[in-house]
Amino acid sequence: MDLIRTEGQRMTAAQPSETTVGNMVRRVLKVIREEYGRLHGRSEESDQQESLHKLLTSGGLSEDFRTPYPSLRANVIEAINEMLIELEGTTDNIAMQALEHIHSNEVIMTIGYSRTVEAFLKEAARKRKFQVIVAECAPFCQGHEMAVRLSKENIETTVMSDAAIFAVMSRVNKVIIGTKTILANGALIAVSGTHTLALAAKHHSTPLIVCAPMFKLSPQFPNEEDSFHKFVSPQEVLPFTEGEILAKINVHCPVFDYVPPELITLFISNIGGNAPSYIYRLMSELYHPDDYEL
Amino acid sequence: MGTDDLIETFRAQLRDDPDVSSAVAAIRALLGFLKQDRGETIQGLRNSLRDAIDTLSRVDSSVAVSSGGELFLRFISLTSLEYSDYSKCKEIMIERGEIFLRKVSLSRNKIAKLCHPFIRDGARILTHAYSRVVLRVLEAAVESKKRFSVYVTESQPDQAGQKMAKALRKLNIPVTVILDAAVGYIMEKVDLVLVGAEGVVESGGIINKIGSNQIAVCAKAQNKPFYVVAESFKFVRLFPLNQQDVPDRFKYKADTLKTGQNLTEEHPWIDYTSPSLITLLFTDLGVLTPSAVSDELIKLYL
Repeated sequence: MDLIRTEGQRMTAAQPSETTVGNMVRRVLKVIREEYGRLHGRSEESDQQESLHKLLTSGGLSEDFRTPYPSLRANVIEAINEMLIELEGTTDNIAMQALEHIHSNEVIMTIGYSRTVEAFLKEAARKRKFQVIVAECAPFCQGHEMAVRLSKENIETTVMSDAAIFAVMSRVNKVIIGTKTILANGALIAVSGTHTLALAAKHHSTPLIVCAPMFKLSPQFPNEEDSFHKFVSPQEVLPFTEGEILAKINVHCPVFDYVPPELITLFISNIGGNAPSYIYRLMSELYHPDDYEL
Repeated sequence: MGTDDLIETFRAQLRDDPDVSSAVAAIRALLGFLKQDRGETIQGLRNSLRDAIDTLSRVDSSVAVSSGGELFLRFISLTSLEYSDYSKCKEIMIERGEIFLRKVSLSRNKIAKLCHPFIRDGARILTHAYSRVVLRVLEAAVESKKRFSVYVTESQPDQAGQKMAKALRKLNIPVTVILDAAVGYIMEKVDLVLVGAEGVVESGGIINKIGSNQIAVCAKAQNKPFYVVAESFKFVRLFPLNQQDVPDRFKYKADTLKTGQNLTEEHPWIDYTSPSLITLLFTDLGVLTPSAVSDELIKLYL
């Protein structure tokens, strides 16, 4: 386990904004703990988490992972293969839930380009007729690519600029977005512009649905570390050709936005739909508290 | 063990170790009581323990003592279910009680470790009255070389805020004591609010020194995060829907309750803050959102 932990630390240090790397390492560590526990003959589930109950009834203080078991390695590898199969099927699982959430003649808004949302909308388009408005998500304008792909499936798509989000929101029935990461308190790290979209949706009481697979759920809380922030070359915002101005101003190009949990209505993931206040429970099923800090 | 001995042990615990929480002192006293109990049956033991807890609540009517006592009673019941032989059962209980106390003494450090990353460099923190857990958290933040300043409410009627300010000055943290009424005024300047709790209720809300609810409402109005730090033994099985639902025996000091005078003339010492106003709770069970608290309580009591 220490080996995996050190490798995990190296990988996350290389690119801190890619939280899925750390998440997967934590999943593997949890799998190892479970398999060990099963071989050790402990009862399932109950002893994994800290709880008041455990505080009162347990005898010793900590679990010792020293005893060697020859079949442990094979069990762990099998569990990891199961996890791989699950990962490959996540987009399909999410797309399968599309029909429950999208109804005929609805106007759906989305932002930027997300493969999960694309699959979700395509699946719904097979049986229902609806319109999609895509915010282009400057400065990378990935919304354009999303619109092209959606219109290939004969979905009526409109592209508009980020500035028009609030103006158009009154006509929208639902907002469906993807995200980069889901934090432990139910908040999102998503592309720049999502917070604006979420605030506009809240103002008009439009439901905000986030489609994201479970591997994006990260046990971090939004705190001082701020390691999820990523800035890229300000070339996109203000090109280097505008030489004279550049000396006098600061130009930033942040890639991600923080969206607080109160603005989100529903999370749709490969294991079903959940409210943001339920995220803590999903986290305790996926990861072990000792692994939150890799 | 007579009731007077029990009260004396309890008071002695509080005197010798002023840093210890009153719930922990109560549990220690109850453990001593358990050791000296001469009964032969579980039922008898439970009855005498219930009387003991009542006695202690009459000495110190805080929520923490009640929740600590309830937890201890629960702990006895759980242990007694596993072993049918009484004397063996008692031995196990005493052993587990010691382990429990040892774990509980580590809880403040665990909380401090979880909470101090949330204090950024240059932060301005608002806190309320005197809380040893908050003090420990701020100490941990200082140890990790963060610079921040603190505003403390004076917290009438016992001026607990002054005590907090003195302790903070010893740690070389710049402190300002403000009037309780000045919370709305100062809220725009602070970055986060950090309070302790005397009890954490099932809904995820907290019971804390009077004035906490006010601070929470102001913080919500100005979009400032409201963090609560509490050890897990403070979780209590109450579900108040409003301020009136909090039982009178917690609101007033034990002496006032004994004199039995008209309670409408008295000022309560605690109030209830609802979970919608709280951002996060830091406990030794981890960082919890208010909705996770009831889950934890269910895990214990079911």
